[in-house]
Amino acid sequence: MELVKTSQKSGALRRGLRIGKLGFGLVGSYLGYQAQNLLLSESGKAQRRARFQKKASQQVSAELGALKGAAMKVGQLLSMQSGVFPEETLRELAALQMHAPGMHPTLARAQFKAAMGKFPEDVFREFDPQPFAAASLGQVHRAITRKGEKVAVKIQYPAIRSAIENDFKVVRSATFAPQLTGHLPTAAIDEVQRGIMEETDYVNEAKNLNYFREQLKNIEWVTVPRVYEEFSSDRTLTMSFVEGRSLGSFLETKPSQQVRDLVGARLMELFEIQAVHLKTLHVDPHPGNFLFQPDGSIGMIDFGCVKRFTLDWSELRRFYDEWGWRENEAAERRFLKIICGPKAPYEKARKILPDFEEWLELIHPRGSGDLFFGRKREPGLEKKIQAARNRCARRIFQNKWINPEYAFLSRADVGLYFLLEQLGAVVNISEIARRVEAGQKTSKAIAS
Amino acid sequence: MKPGRRVQKKEKTKQAILKAALELFPAKGFYATTTKAISKKAHIAEGTLFNYFETKEDLALYFLEEELSGVMEWHLANRRLENADIAENLFAIIQHLLERLEPYEEFIGAVYMRALSPTSKLSPFSFESQDRHLRYLRFIREILLEAEADGEIPPVGDFGAYAVGLFQLAILTHWLQDKSRGKEQTLALLDRCLKMATHFLRNGGWNW
Repeated sequence: MELVKTSQKSGALRRGLRIGKLGFGLVGSYLGYQAQNLLLSESGKAQRRARFQKKASQQVSAELGALKGAAMKVGQLLSMQSGVFPEETLRELAALQMHAPGMHPTLARAQFKAAMGKFPEDVFREFDPQPFAAASLGQVHRAITRKGEKVAVKIQYPAIRSAIENDFKVVRSATFAPQLTGHLPTAAIDEVQRGIMEETDYVNEAKNLNYFREQLKNIEWVTVPRVYEEFSSDRTLTMSFVEGRSLGSFLETKPSQQVRDLVGARLMELFEIQAVHLKTLHVDPHPGNFLFQPDGSIGMIDFGCVKRFTLDWSELRRFYDEWGWRENEAAERRFLKIICGPKAPYEKARKILPDFEEWLELIHPRGSGDLFFGRKREPGLEKKIQAARNRCARRIFQNKWINPEYAFLSRADVGLYFLLEQLGAVVNISEIARRVEAGQKTSKAIAS
Repeated sequence: MKPGRRVQKKEKTKQAILKAALELFPAKGFYATTTKAISKKAHIAEGTLFNYFETKEDLALYFLEEELSGVMEWHLANRRLENADIAENLFAIIQHLLERLEPYEEFIGAVYMRALSPTSKLSPFSFESQDRHLRYLRFIREILLEAEADGEIPPVGDFGAYAVGLFQLAILTHWLQDKSRGKEQTLALLDRCLKMATHFLRNGGWNW
C-alpha cells in the first residue's frame, strides 16, 4: 500500500519510531494515540494530504518537528505566549483541536458509566449512541432527559487526561537541559500543561458555561447552554441542546448579505463585550465554537478554554485610533508597556514602532474615519498588509519582549477576523467598539 | 431434551451454594471463608457441600463457568451489537465480562493468584478447566468466523480464537491492577488494542 508520497511514508514511520523510542505506552500517552491515529484513520488520509500540501501547515510541521496533536497544541499555546508565528500559521493553529480517538457506542456507554456510575439509558429517557460532534478529547451525543428536555452529552475518551499528563513527564525529562540553561523556562511548560489540563477538565468548563450564561443573559440573540450538574462530572458534561448550524453549513444555506453583516456585527460585539467589560475571553473565536441560526442568533459552545486577563482593551483601541503614542514620551512608554510588557527596556521596545505604524497605516490610515472590516481594498493591498504584519511580529519576537496578554488578545482578534472573513461580513468595527465601551448593549439597533 | 428433575434440583443446590459463597467471599476473603460457613449460609450440611464441590477451587471454577455462560447468553440476546464491527463486538464481550466480575473483584484476585499455580484446577491449562475453555473459545471462534465472512478480517483460524482468549486474560490482569476511577485505563487499553489488532489484520500486517 502506497501512502501519499515516499517522504511522507518515511515521515510517518519516523514519527512512530520516535514515539516508540521515547517509550510511550499504548494507553499511557496522548502522543501514542496520535501516532496510532495516523495509522488507523483511513478517511483522514486525503485530508491529511491536502493539509500537508498547504504552505502554512508545512511551516508549522517544520517548526514543531512533524509531531502532531498534543505537540501542536503545545505549539499553539506557546505561540500565544510568545507571538512566534505569522498570521497564516496562527490561523492554521487556531483551527486545531485536541483530538481523541473516536468511541464506538459500546465504549461511549461504558465510559459514561465509568464517569457517572450509571449507564446513559438509566439516566436519560433517550440517548443517541452515535455522536453528532467531536469535542476536545471526546465526542458529543444527543439525549433527552426524563423530563423531556433536549440535551447534548459530552463524553471524554477514557483515561486521556492521565495520558497527557504522562506525556508532560516525558517532555519535562527530555527538556531537562534547556530548562537548566533557562532557554525553556520551566514556568512556560507549567503554564502550557496547566492550560491543557484546564481545557480538558469538564468541571472547569461547566464553571465557565455558568459564568458566561450569567454575564450574557441580557443579550437576547446569544444562547449559552445550561449545565445539567446532575448529569455532569469531570469527564462528562451534559448541557441544554443549542440549535443552530455550524459556520460551514450555515453558509451553505446562502444567507443574505444583510444577515451575514448582522451576524458579523454580533460576533464583533460579543468579542468587544468580553474584551472590554468581562475581561474574560471565550477563547479561540474559531468557527467550531459558534452555532448560527437564520435570524442571526448565535449559540456559543465549547467553553473549555476561557482566559481571564487584566489588559485594558479599550485603552489599546484608543491608542490605535489616535496613534496616541506619538503624543509624548509618557504615552509612548505606556503604549509599549501594553504591547511589550512592563519589563521591556524602553529603548529596545520602541524599535517596534516604525514597523507597527507602517502596518497600521495600511489597515487604517489616520483620519480615515471609521474602521470597517470586509470592505473591498485596492488590489495588492492585502499582501502588503500581510507582509507588514509579519515584519512587525518578527520585530516583536526578535526583541523577545512581549506582553503575553497582548499576544493572546491579538491572536484572538486575528481569529475573529478570520471568522468574519469566512462569513463574508462587512462590519463597522469602530462603531461597535464605541457602543460597547459606552455600555450600550444593543445589536437590536443593528438588527432594525 | 429437557434436563430431568434430579439434574434440575442438583443445579439449583449448586447455585444456592455459589450464591452463599459469593455473599461470604467479599466480607471475609476467598481464603478465610470456610466451607463450614458456606454450607451454613446455604442451609445444607457441610457433607452435602462436598458432594457438589470437592474444594473451594471447584466452587471458583463453577463460578467462572457460570459467568462465561452468562456472557455468551448475553451476547446472543444483545441486539445493540447487531451492526457492530469486530472490534466493538470483542470489546463488548470482554467489557461485559469485566462488568459482571466487578462485584467480586477481590475474590477474582484471589482465584487469579491461585490459578497461576500449574497444579491448580483453576489453571487455564488444567484438565478441569479445559471444557469450559473450549466452550468459550468456540463461541469466540464463531464471532471471528462471522467477521471473516463479512470480510472484516482475513481468515485467522483457531489461532485467532486462542489469541483472543489470551488477550482476554491479559486484560483481566490489567483490570485487577487498574486503580483508575471506573477502571477507565482498562477501557482505553481494551479499545486501542482491539482497534489496532483489527487494523493490522485487515491490512495484512504492519504494512502501513
